[in-house]
Amino acid sequence: MTLLEFLSDRLGRLALQLICIGLAALFLFATGTQPGVLIILLFVLLFIFAAAQIYDFSRQRAYLRELEFILDSLDQKYLFAECVPPPQNLYARRLFNLTRRAGRAMTGAVSDAQASQREYREYVERWVHEIKAPITAARLICRDLDGDTRRKLTAELGQIEAHVERALFYARAENPEQDCLLRKTELEKIAAQAIENHRSLLIQNGIQVETEGLGGTVYTDEKWAVFILGQLLQNAARYRGEAPVITISARPLGKQVRLTVFDNGIGIPAHELPRVFERGFTGSNGRSRGGSTGMGLYLCRKLAGFLELGLDISSREGEGTAVTLTFPAKENLTKL
Amino acid sequence: MQKIMIVEDDPAIREELALLLENEGYRPLVITDFIDIPAQAALERPDLILLDIGLPGKDGFSLCAALRKAIPAPVVFVTSRDTGVDEVRALSLGGDDYITKPYSVPVLLARIKAVLRRTGGGPAQADVLEAGGLCLSLTKGVVSANGNTADLTRNELQILACLMAHAGQIVSRADLIDTLWDHQIYIDDNTLSVNMTRLRGKLAALGLPGAVKTRRGMGYQL
Repeated sequence: MTLLEFLSDRLGRLALQLICIGLAALFLFATGTQPGVLIILLFVLLFIFAAAQIYDFSRQRAYLRELEFILDSLDQKYLFAECVPPPQNLYARRLFNLTRRAGRAMTGAVSDAQASQREYREYVERWVHEIKAPITAARLICRDLDGDTRRKLTAELGQIEAHVERALFYARAENPEQDCLLRKTELEKIAAQAIENHRSLLIQNGIQVETEGLGGTVYTDEKWAVFILGQLLQNAARYRGEAPVITISARPLGKQVRLTVFDNGIGIPAHELPRVFERGFTGSNGRSRGGSTGMGLYLCRKLAGFLELGLDISSREGEGTAVTLTFPAKENLTKL
Repeated sequence: MQKIMIVEDDPAIREELALLLENEGYRPLVITDFIDIPAQAALERPDLILLDIGLPGKDGFSLCAALRKAIPAPVVFVTSRDTGVDEVRALSLGGDDYITKPYSVPVLLARIKAVLRRTGGGPAQADVLEAGGLCLSLTKGVVSANGNTADLTRNELQILACLMAHAGQIVSRADLIDTLWDHQIYIDDNTLSVNMTRLRGKLAALGLPGAVKTRRGMGYQL
């Protein structure tokens, strides 16, 4: 708030005061007060008024600054009205109380929403853990069946697992800090785990998997990295071409490590490429091949953002797709 | 025969797991009473314990600590809780391995075998397989017939072991790939063909040229 803004806000009152002083001066002059006395009186009055206005101005400005400072330093901005000192004058205090009541109602609504979101997340997690028991049992029962039926059923179970896994990570991505555990992890372990998780999918689709230069270590959450890599493998398997090959390779880039998953699949049209990380985006490939949820890459990007992983995609239609995960240099990570 | 104790509260998994382990040549020991499991373990003295985390009453984490005190057997966590935090906690409490549900059967068996080997149990299966006039030593990777012997590579050994274990039955290519597909070695169709040709060459050199028959559209048969 500048002085000019302050004055223009009070223009009416100031004008009224000036008019009153003028009228009083006129009256005194008309009733025979000496001009010298009048001038002294006028000066004294104007000085007192001006001092009062400037005092008001500086007090208001200080108060506003304090409020702004409090708001800036607040983590949850909507708790503002609870954290500020109440104003001194009656009118402002009434306004302030109204605001505070409105704020409290909102705080209540927000915490209700947070609680129900948390409950929902907990329910999804519990549900996922519970659904894993019958899937495990079904897998064990499957092994008594003859080759072909077993393989088909195992592949379907694999699909169920993939969907369940996505639901779990979707729920977790809402507040990821709860489950995230950054530690030194071998790239080889991440890749082997992701491949193992999609074993039947890859075998079923006759995909040749090659790994290259996975000797390094990175600092990341292993489970999440495995999940992200798994999504990429699923995509590569779904959008495979003739004689499918998936190459997982890594190379250091300064202090970072870049992990690339390359496939020789059908590729993504150039105009769809910028949108593949959008939630629910399936694209022409997804529509023509079916079974696409538009969630995989969206979740990848969300989780990658939290792990501070770079996630880039490049593709040429008919030639293949390369997705690169850039693991951050370990110095960048805060120690846990 | 090695005794494996199964601590799992889902009856379907428990029973199927017991069946599976029995078929694989272990002696499964199913816990149905979840009161004082360490005492039951001390009584039965299993060679390995498969432990679920979400159990009625006490959870698997505290149970693991109690089990470690009661007996020296390795503890393998088998659970649907899959966060890194859970895994670190399980391993720091003295767990020997941590397998998340739903696991695939070969992975579970491989990890059980690895833990048993590490803790000095040794493999439960016979080291030597015999079928169709062939004698295969799994640890040496050597096949012998008619008094001659031939060294096998890892893949050839796995293929032959799989065929010999199912002697007389047809083993599909997909099943063979499934057997060969292992950590860090991902076999595709072509590799299988190459290995199969080499294996046949080696068997022919031993004087058994037609030992592995191709059943068109179905697979191979010893």
